[in-house]
Amino acid sequence: MSTSKVTSDLLRGNTDTMILRLLAESDRYGYEIVKLIAERSQGEYELKEATMYSSVRRLEADGDITWYWGDESQGGRRKYFRITEKGRATYARNKSNWEYAKRVLDTLL
Amino acid sequence: MNDRLNEYMDGLFAPYEGTKSITELKADLLADLQERYRELRAEGKDDATAFEQTIDSIGDIEETVQEMSNLSRALERQVVTRFDSSDLKGSDFAGVTARGAKFGTSALRGADFSNADLTGGRFKSSDLGEANFDGANLTDAVMTTAELAGSTFRRTRLVRTDFSMSGLDKVRFADAVLTDVAFRKTDLRHTSFERCTFTGVDFTYSDLRGLTFDGAAFTGVKFDRAGLEGVSMRGAILRDCSFRGGWSNKYYKALRTVNFDGARMDKLTYAALKSFDVAPPNVIVE
Repeated sequence: MSTSKVTSDLLRGNTDTMILRLLAESDRYGYEIVKLIAERSQGEYELKEATMYSSVRRLEADGDITWYWGDESQGGRRKYFRITEKGRATYARNKSNWEYAKRVLDTLL
Repeated sequence: MNDRLNEYMDGLFAPYEGTKSITELKADLLADLQERYRELRAEGKDDATAFEQTIDSIGDIEETVQEMSNLSRALERQVVTRFDSSDLKGSDFAGVTARGAKFGTSALRGADFSNADLTGGRFKSSDLGEANFDGANLTDAVMTTAELAGSTFRRTRLVRTDFSMSGLDKVRFADAVLTDVAFRKTDLRHTSFERCTFTGVDFTYSDLRGLTFDGAAFTGVKFDRAGLEGVSMRGAILRDCSFRGGWSNKYYKALRTVNFDGARMDKLTYAALKSFDVAPPNVIVE
C-alpha cells in the first residue's frame, strides 16, 4: 500500500458504506468482504479483518445488517451478512453525502 | 496448520477472553483466516509466507475489541431494562437493581419486587395485581393506569411515585412515608394505609369514601375535589392541607361527614375548612 496516513484514514472512515455497498449487491461472508475490497481497489486498499468486524458489529447494532448461518457442505459454516431496509437507506444517505462532499472538495482543493 | 493459527489466535485474544461477543469475534475471524491461508497455499505460497500474510490481514485487534465491548455494554444495558409488553407473570425480581427499568404494558401479576431498586421505573398500564413491592424503592416510578389490585407496599420508599388513574383495589400500604406521591383520579375506597405518613401527596379527584386515616400525619396534602364522604381522620395531624371543591356542593356536603375528632391541624387548614362552612368540632387548632 502506497497510501499516506491521511488517505488511509479517509478510506477507513468510509468502511461502513463500503460494506453496505457490497451487501446491497448480495449477501456475503466476512472473508468475501475483505477480498472483494482488495480486488475492486486493485490492491490499493486493504481492509483489515479487525476494521471490517468493527464495522460489521456496529452496523449490526444499528440494525443496518443482520446475519445468518450458511449451509456449506464442506468445511466450517459461514456466517453470511445481509443488508436490511434500514441499511439500504443508510447506504443511500452516506453515498449522497459523499457525492456532496466530493463536489465541495473539488471546488476547494 | 490450523493448530498454528488456532494457537496464534488464542495468544492474540488471551487478554480479552470471557465475554460472548469476543468469543464470537474470535470464531468469525478464525474462519476467515483459515480460508485466506488455504487460498494462499493454493496459489503456491510456502507455509511460512502464507502464515505471515494471513496474520498480517488481521490488523489492529485491540481497537476492535475496545469498540465492541463498548457496544455490547450498551446492548446489555438495554436488555436489562427493557421489559415492555412482556409476559412476566409471577417473576422473581426480589432485590434486583433495575433503575429506570421499562415494564410498561407488561403482565407482571404476582411478581415479586420486594427490596428491589426500581427508581424511575416505568410500569404504565401494566398488570401488577398481587405484586409485592415490600421494601422496594419506587422513587420517581410511574405506575399510572396500572392494575395493582391486591398488591402490597410495606416499608416501600415512595417519593414522587405516580399512581394516578391506577387500579388500587385492596392494595395495602403499610409503614411507608409517602412523599409527593400522586393518586389523582384513583378509586381508593378499598385501599388500606396503615401507619403511613403523607407529605405533599395529591389525592385530587380521587375517591376516598369510607377510608380510615386515624392518627395519620398529613403535610401539604391535596384533597381537592376528592370523594370524602365518611372518611375518618380521628386523631390525625393536618398541616397546610387543601380541601377545595370548586363549586361542587356535593364536595362540601361530603367534607362535613369527615370525622376529625381529636385531630390536630394548623390554623390555615382549619381556616380553609371553616371558609367552606365546615367547622369540625373537637379538633385541636395549633
